[in-house]
Amino acid sequence: MTESGRYLYAIARGLDPSVLAGVPALAGGRLEVVEHRGLEAVVSTVDLEEYGEDGLRRNLEDLAWLEEVARGHDTVVQAVATHAPAAPLRLATICLDDDGVRERLDSSHDALEEVLDRVEGRREWSVKVFARPRPAPQQAVPQPTTGGGAAYLQRKKAESQAREADESSAAVVADEVHERLAVRSVAGRRLAPQDPRLTGRSETMLHNGAYLVEVDEGDAFAALVDELASAHPEVTVECHGPWPPYSFATLEQQ
Amino acid sequence: MTSTLDVGASGGTTVEPEPVHGRQIALVDLLDRLLGVGVVLAGDVVISLAGVDLVQVRLHALISTIRSDMVEPR
Amino acid sequence: MSEAHRLFPQRLETDAESVERDLFKLVLTIIELVRQLMEKQALRRVDEGDLTDEQIEGLGTGLMHLEQAMEDLKSRYDLTTADLNIDLGPLGPLLSE
Repeated sequence: MTESGRYLYAIARGLDPSVLAGVPALAGGRLEVVEHRGLEAVVSTVDLEEYGEDGLRRNLEDLAWLEEVARGHDTVVQAVATHAPAAPLRLATICLDDDGVRERLDSSHDALEEVLDRVEGRREWSVKVFARPRPAPQQAVPQPTTGGGAAYLQRKKAESQAREADESSAAVVADEVHERLAVRSVAGRRLAPQDPRLTGRSETMLHNGAYLVEVDEGDAFAALVDELASAHPEVTVECHGPWPPYSFATLEQQ
Repeated sequence: MTSTLDVGASGGTTVEPEPVHGRQIALVDLLDRLLGVGVVLAGDVVISLAGVDLVQVRLHALISTIRSDMVEPR
Repeated sequence: MSEAHRLFPQRLETDAESVERDLFKLVLTIIELVRQLMEKQALRRVDEGDLTDEQIEGLGTGLMHLEQAMEDLKSRYDLTTADLNIDLGPLGPLLSE
């Protein structure tokens, strides 16, 4: 007989459970709400064979599994966050049973209230800055006779310095974009640049920012991003949102 | 992007603004946030022939060795 | 599942015919890395200022010929520098340009 656990999607405050009707849970389960001291954990039952420690170790390396679970998780989080302040949880946060869920709500109560205060009425926006794609390096055949070895090295040095200058001015632009956006948001965070193989983008990612913005200031924020993009044609600026506040809901890890 | 009709938290539904640039969060962004660390892929190359994996080149180890040997400051 | 399938480990799918090209690509990539590192190191030494004019000339000429040789090798298999570049995730792209 396989054991089961409770998968936690998000913790909310003042959530009306009926808004979850029809929202699919992972693994064909059913979304439920466990309440404790004024906070609601949105959960569903999962099989520990798949979501227990061993199962996760296996499954977290399976990209297909990861994608399906991430999407399923996000579907629930978005449904919750649209209707109440919500602290999304990381992937695969499992408690053995509802007592375990309540215990967690209890021990993290104050931190959770703080997070919910922080994200209430706010949304996350993602802004990324990319360097312009480099023009293809000259595949010109170097003439062995144009200048000697010393001239060759001079040329290489000049190319290398030009590259460095590009890089440092790109970094300056990224900093400026971040500062301008951070000033107009409740909070801003710099996230790690992303692996080009995952993004499918060959240009260097100069900045990967997450910003917490009041719900009704979303339009103004997007407009500011457009303004910054126009002011800096030497980079590409991308804006996505509004999203649930994933990057602003982390509790200090226990 | 359509502007929002926000009826407020006290009763009534809040209509969210239309998401900018598509509804879905890109998988890479979602995984970064749900896994809590920037998602990183191992730079290993598996060379296979006729569907049989033969050689797994651990490029990390190889390149790190080459780089540290070559760029040692004198 | 289209996003997930873009992910790794990277496989060089080879059949008996393309095995030569793909292995060659891998070998050329390593050689190109070494060539670029040698160039960087040479520039560093020149900057340090402890080389004679003769040595600088010799270094430059040698590297120039190396670059030429790489171009010849690449064109033999119709490869560009971008073709050779392998991405190592946290280590960044293998080749810097």
